Amino acid sequence: MGNDKILEIENLTVKYNDHVILNSLNFYVKSGEIVAIIGPNGSGKTTLLKAILGLIPHQGCVKILGGPLKSALKYIGYVPQRFDFDKTFPLMVKEFLSFIKVANRQWREEVLREVGINAFLDKRIGELSGGQLQRLLIAKALLKEPKLLLLDEATSGVDMAAEMTFYELIQHLNETHNLTIMLISHEVNMVYKFATQILCLNKDLVCNGRPREAITQEVLERLYGKSILFQPHEH
Amino acid sequence: MLDILQYPFMQRAIIAGVVLAGLLAWLGVFVIMRKMSFFSDGIAHASLAGIAVGVLASFHPLTTAVLFSIVFSLAIYFLEKKTNLSSDAIIGMLFTSGMALGVVLISFKSGYQPDLVSFLFGNILAIKPLDLVVITVLSALIVVFLFYNHKNITLMALDADTAYLDGVRVNPLQITFYIILAVSVVLGLKILGIVLVSALLIIPASTAKLVSRSFKGLILKSIIISEIVVLVGIALSYYLDSPTGPMIVLVGTAVFFAVFSYKQLLSVVK
Repeated sequence: MGNDKILEIENLTVKYNDHVILNSLNFYVKSGEIVAIIGPNGSGKTTLLKAILGLIPHQGCVKILGGPLKSALKYIGYVPQRFDFDKTFPLMVKEFLSFIKVANRQWREEVLREVGINAFLDKRIGELSGGQLQRLLIAKALLKEPKLLLLDEATSGVDMAAEMTFYELIQHLNETHNLTIMLISHEVNMVYKFATQILCLNKDLVCNGRPREAITQEVLERLYGKSILFQPHEH
Repeated sequence: MLDILQYPFMQRAIIAGVVLAGLLAWLGVFVIMRKMSFFSDGIAHASLAGIAVGVLASFHPLTTAVLFSIVFSLAIYFLEKKTNLSSDAIIGMLFTSGMALGVVLISFKSGYQPDLVSFLFGNILAIKPLDLVVITVLSALIVVFLFYNHKNITLMALDADTAYLDGVRVNPLQITFYIILAVSVVLGLKILGIVLVSALLIIPASTAKLVSRSFKGLILKSIIISEIVVLVGIALSYYLDSPTGPMIVLVGTAVFFAVFSYKQLLSVVK
């Protein structure tokens, strides 16, 4: 893994009217990391990703690849939590993917094979299962040949087996393409196993570090309350 | 059959009909995709103000209506951005205001206004040579724009955030789309009139959606259906001596229900 910072966040604050959603966050992400963002519902996880992407107004500084977002947008892939579209609309998977300009045809074929899209290229996107749609959105994000991939609860709506395959895919993309990945997840045990950096969010940044050091019973109680019991799988 | 082609007014009607059928069918796909039927209907109604200004000033009313439609589309865009009002409310407010302004302005001009009546209810047979020039030149420019921006408009219609992240400059593209949609609707007024023009945006695309699996197929079928509907509508209105605009709409509706029934029948047989 490289030591260069791919993402730097300084004093990031997001407010809706007078309500503070994110409170002066400071952290950085080095190239090649798998960063998991955890926190309870309403803790600002999606807001953080949207602020990084410039989709919502914010205060503070977001630097990607050492520069402003605008110049780095082409290096960012994003998989949203929900992709709201008219499911009755006749749009085939291959047509949807053709909207993305791909300079490298070999990369396109590699992405489609690795993410497992080829089997349903001729399906309409409205006919896809939750897992297939998730793969399609990941493939679409990867076609840009991003350096940073942001995933917002990409496993919501898929079953356990698909979720496991998803994390294996993420790890594979990270290892073989040195892709830096930031993902939001509710699966503390899963991210404990796959992530290399954890950001715990509850309006403030509650923890930031390697999973074994960052996720403690005390941190989890600050995030989710006293009732949470954390038993990490060491294997 | 070919006797209808010998009259210059009929030739102009058919050329304008063919050009607008294709343009409105293509745009109609985006209109049903983005659920913008009310936008096009609203622009058509609001353009009465532009037509009235043209009639009052004895200037080409189609040109003044085009200019007013651009102003209305920009007003809708900026009010959507700058207020917390829904699109429906903004369009509803502007289109009634546009109509009201049109009616007040027209009241200053006494006597029967044939130009105005043809805009209200459509009269493809009253398309003058200058109208045809305006319709074909503007339609050609819009088709070139659609051709070069087809993928970006589709992506934006599907999801604006995704389009932005894929490098599409969403705001300028959205403003441009609003303008070309408004202008296209106004160009269609001479055929179908303020009251009926949205039909040519919505009916062909909706009919094609019933029988399309791909987006490319949807656009092609929408254009083919629209061309057939307009040509059959013009021919029927000529031979039955009935108003052209309503006849086109009725042919479109008949085609829609024929395709719908065929689909239902197929599903029963299967």
